[in-house]
Amino acid sequence: MLSRVFVTGVGVVSSIGLGREAFFRALEAGTSGISPVESFDASRLGRARAGEVKGFDARDHLSTAEQRLAGRCSAMALAAARMAVADAGLDATKLAAPRTAVILGTTMGEARILEELDHQWIVGGESAVTRARIPRYGSTLLPIHVARAVGARGMVLTLPAACAAGNYAIGFAADFIRAGRADVVVTGAAELLEELQYSGFVRLAAMAPERCQPFDLNRQGLLLGEGAGLLVLESEAHATRRGARLQAEVGGYGLSCDGYHITRPHPDAAGSIVAMRAAIERSGITPAQVDFVNAHGTGTKHNDVAETKVVREVFGDQRVPVSSMKSMLGHCMGAASALEAIGCVMTIETGVYPPTIGYETPDPECDMDVVANVARRGKADVVINNALAFGGYNAVTVFARPGVLPPPRKAERRPA
Amino acid sequence: MTPRVVTGVGVVSALGIGRAAFFEAMRAGTRAADDARPIETFDASRYAGGGPRAAEVRGFDATRYLGDKGLRSLDRLTKLLVVGARLALHDAGLKRDGAWVEPPGDAATRPWTDRVGLVVSNAYGSLEAIHELYRVAVLEDARYINPSRFPLTVSNTAAGYVSIWEDLHALNVTVSDGNCGALDAVACADVLLDDARADVLLVGGAEALSEPLFLALHRLGTLGADGTCVGEGAALLALELPEGASARGAQPLAEVVGYGTAFVPPDHPATLFHAAPEPLQRAIESALADARVRAQDVDVVVSGISGLRVFDEAELLAIDRSALDDACVVAPKWALGETLGAGGAMGMLSAIAYLREGARSHVVRGTLRSEVRTALVTSTGYYGNASALVMRASSR
Repeated sequence: MLSRVFVTGVGVVSSIGLGREAFFRALEAGTSGISPVESFDASRLGRARAGEVKGFDARDHLSTAEQRLAGRCSAMALAAARMAVADAGLDATKLAAPRTAVILGTTMGEARILEELDHQWIVGGESAVTRARIPRYGSTLLPIHVARAVGARGMVLTLPAACAAGNYAIGFAADFIRAGRADVVVTGAAELLEELQYSGFVRLAAMAPERCQPFDLNRQGLLLGEGAGLLVLESEAHATRRGARLQAEVGGYGLSCDGYHITRPHPDAAGSIVAMRAAIERSGITPAQVDFVNAHGTGTKHNDVAETKVVREVFGDQRVPVSSMKSMLGHCMGAASALEAIGCVMTIETGVYPPTIGYETPDPECDMDVVANVARRGKADVVINNALAFGGYNAVTVFARPGVLPPPRKAERRPA
Repeated sequence: MTPRVVTGVGVVSALGIGRAAFFEAMRAGTRAADDARPIETFDASRYAGGGPRAAEVRGFDATRYLGDKGLRSLDRLTKLLVVGARLALHDAGLKRDGAWVEPPGDAATRPWTDRVGLVVSNAYGSLEAIHELYRVAVLEDARYINPSRFPLTVSNTAAGYVSIWEDLHALNVTVSDGNCGALDAVACADVLLDDARADVLLVGGAEALSEPLFLALHRLGTLGADGTCVGEGAALLALELPEGASARGAQPLAEVVGYGTAFVPPDHPATLFHAAPEPLQRAIESALADARVRAQDVDVVVSGISGLRVFDEAELLAIDRSALDDACVVAPKWALGETLGAGGAMGMLSAIAYLREGARSHVVRGTLRSEVRTALVTSTGYYGNASALVMRASSR
């Protein structure tokens, strides 16, 4: 029999708060984390706002040695991991096992270290490149730093799946436990705001000037954000043996690839529909049991229309409440769906649907029950988390109140 | 793990492009890493120390495989990977002359496009594209960076292009774990196949040579006579369930039967690199247990030995401590160079060369038995991470 998988701890570094309590409060209040970019000079780009993490000091969370070795992205991941592990009531002595794994998502990891090294090279030639900084670049390092900190001795893996990386990591981590390959996985994702990535989104004409307004008729695009959202996932046996508090069950997840265009979603949204249906089906439930959908909701014209098609196709006449946390956090790229997964855990624990702020004029092409501007309370037994990324990377996860989902079953291979 | 079969391979390597060329070079014992010709990919003449080398895919011309159209926005990493994937799909008998073959069965058959996915390892992404855009941003203005090249800055884009070029709509996963990534990709594929998320998965890795990569390794002092030779390439194996392969009449080249991985941090908290035998020793033990194979039954250890002395010594020590001292240890990286994210996949392909293609070269120590039935592929990462994979000759 396959094991159930539970979220037993969460940790957050975000533009709207550090730690689960601050994050939950800000989500419920509809707090915007968007502010003028301070970490680099964005003024020439014609866009200068983002969901930058302010008030995060690595010294509060990392040892001196860790501060020396970890770049900012790893530092945020490490801090969030420590919070998640503490929230789960675990510590390094309990986690020091070959059956503890760390599986994290990101798009670019320590992009700022690479930027710095590249800048040295371009301006000063190869001898100007700081030798000691080179080994600190690489998305490989994110789970290494976390594993060192939390004591994990099993798999250390990064899944770089563009802006669906968080869901890829969480979905795969849950599968890894269900398959009996690990008892505990510290998972989630981290991403930092970096100049080249910021410029690239501006050049793609995808970035809004002021606000990110998902599903609004006058939406002008996305805003970038940054942060880290980490979760402790545990097998049922491991969690119950130690009397852990079960915050949410991780249901099934769905994956697909559009194979259509490297930045645009498929106009029919066929791949996203497959992923969302698979997530529901693999959780052993029907769409009618879904209480809330956390949308990918980037605030771009294309994404929001395509995503509406997905929701309408999967849910039919059922008006499931939909919201996008990106209206508050901006698009935290690889970390987006991990931070939002933690928001989903909050929804299950508190019955609060976080609002889509800045929602003023409904768009007839995005005709859904959007949780507009103010948080709503409602039934929250089953919550869906969408991530529909560049490159047609679709990953959809399901979270549920413990005790709601049927036991996981081995997926049946459909007849060829 | 449940045994999976390899039913096709696609390879773009310094030893040649395509299965036949790769296996022929492995039989001949060719060492691309000893090639003294100047590097083609970029002008390396400024790197002093005399004769900088790299195990490049020389004369690589993607248009020969992909045609002339649509290649301009692709980087070298993507081209290597797309060509590798195309070759693997053809070698596995899933495509013929660029088109999907008819799946076996009746009219209700689901098309291959929904049933074939990709799990590919890459360590450093497209440093070529990232550097190109940084140059524009630093020397000109960030407002002028080429938006069509921008998506290449994230490391899963190469795999994303495979889905577009090869029409693969099942899952598409990129993994990153340094030079262990390609073996970890098999572990991911194992879970995903078990989950019935795809019927066939192209599994492997890709890494492209670029000046920034070369410069980084050069600055770290890892290249040259006392170090390693940087390599590049793409290697993909079509992995599926034995019953799926037999239903479509595909002939297995080998079986993948066990996987293990481990992480052991260095004792000193201020150290990042960690060359020690413990991680690989644990990974080997767990891979052998997973495969239900005894150490003495391993005929060949296809190691990750690359010329970096401290890591090579750690790897050999791990092999010794795993009671594998009777097995012959080989080092395909002597031929292929250090291909990082693709390294484990090149190792798996090399394992097939030893298991069934009569390869006998690149021996580090020991003697190859006349019959090679079981291979252990190992990878030691730089940070205390290590992975191992057990492969077996297919029962024919």
